[in-house]
Amino acid sequence: QVSELAQFLLIKDQKKLPIKRADILKHIIREYRDAYSEIVNKAGRSLQEIFGLKLVEIDSKRHIYILVNSLANSEGKCQEKEKMGLLLVILSFIFMKGNSVKDSALWEFLHLLRVYPGKEHGVFGDVHKLVTEEFVRQKYLDITPIPMTDPPESKFQWGPRAEQEISKRDVLNAVAKIQGKDPTFWASQYSEAEA
Amino acid sequence: ENREAMLSSKSNRLTEALEEANALFDGVCRAREAALDAQFLVLASNIGKEKASELHSEISAFDSTAFAEDLLTFMGINRTEETNDSEDESGESGGFLPEDAWKRMGEEALKYFKRAAGFHYLLGSWKSEPSVPKQRIERQKKATSGKEVQAMPAQLKKMEESHQEATEKEVERILRILQTHFDNDPQIPISFFDFVIDPNSFARTVENMFHVSFLIRDGLARIKLDEDGLPVIEPTKNSGAGEEDSKGGARNQVIIRLDQREWQ
Repeated sequence: QVSELAQFLLIKDQKKLPIKRADILKHIIREYRDAYSEIVNKAGRSLQEIFGLKLVEIDSKRHIYILVNSLANSEGKCQEKEKMGLLLVILSFIFMKGNSVKDSALWEFLHLLRVYPGKEHGVFGDVHKLVTEEFVRQKYLDITPIPMTDPPESKFQWGPRAEQEISKRDVLNAVAKIQGKDPTFWASQYSEAEA
Repeated sequence: ENREAMLSSKSNRLTEALEEANALFDGVCRAREAALDAQFLVLASNIGKEKASELHSEISAFDSTAFAEDLLTFMGINRTEETNDSEDESGESGGFLPEDAWKRMGEEALKYFKRAAGFHYLLGSWKSEPSVPKQRIERQKKATSGKEVQAMPAQLKKMEESHQEATEKEVERILRILQTHFDNDPQIPISFFDFVIDPNSFARTVENMFHVSFLIRDGLARIKLDEDGLPVIEPTKNSGAGEEDSKGGARNQVIIRLDQREWQ
């Protein structure tokens, strides 16, 4: 069961969509329900030892898992490179602006980078869908509606996968590098990143 | 309404509104008005929260416009003297953004993300093989055991395939035996039991029956009842009207019960 689960997790992670406990029970564990946590722990250990991947439960209430690399990436992977670039830009913007931004503010910012929610993008296609659906489903971004706003607005924050895969310190360093400044230039973000 | 006005850090409008509501509340004597007052408080506190968060970001002011400009530079924008022919939206700098702009951004981004590499079977595509060893260089010892795990699913796949072939081969073999027998003694169909029963192994007997059933299903052999009511088996001749024959043959069902004792 353990090796079956390990393979199952690896394949499910291909699309970067989080893995639900219900699926694990249905397809892999089936009649061995009592041994669920033991099987999951052993599978997690195998993944760590053999592949260097961490199995992280990002939602302990609803039991949802993702796979995260324990090691920093040594080489750039060809797939999805550009999406990761856009994601880094968005996550940086959110962090530098105090960890939460209104959707209107985010789109206003992306405007400056020639990325428009209403217009098909040469690289990203339907950007609105990518940002509000794909990134959210993959748990990179979190979107919550702001109550009693008219017209209704939402706010963007970092999602649990982003918290696991990238650190605030890295993001601040990236911003600093791009702007040619020292990270300490932004005092409060710096102290938050170093915390 | 007036939300933006209240949000402005310079204005005390929020405080004034709160004080006004406070005064009004003294005059409240109906539940409906109290509910309105509660609704107002929720709204006011939301605005208050927003104001507070904006206050926070002003401490280390972050200039998003400058950031955007620097990002474009990083992505390799080519700023020329000429203005764009296309409509210029407000706040947009002129310049030509190269096609690999976001790829450049992505390469930088990948340095920071601890993303699990998408898992793909080695057996699947040869093209991805060169990149897999590259990633493994970092992991040294883990590399060899990793490859072993990769090899396992490949091996399992191969075994499964050969398993199916084995059944077909057996079926063919039995057909050939049947045909050979029949060639030696034409016109005399062979007793079914004589054909399938292996005097030494019950399991083998069952297997033989299993393989024979394939022959019958495919119309390559026929089972009939002889004068004693015992089943006999003979190969069918390869004729052009094969389809019709096999259709007819499929209509008959024979249920044979054979357990170990009977077999003995």
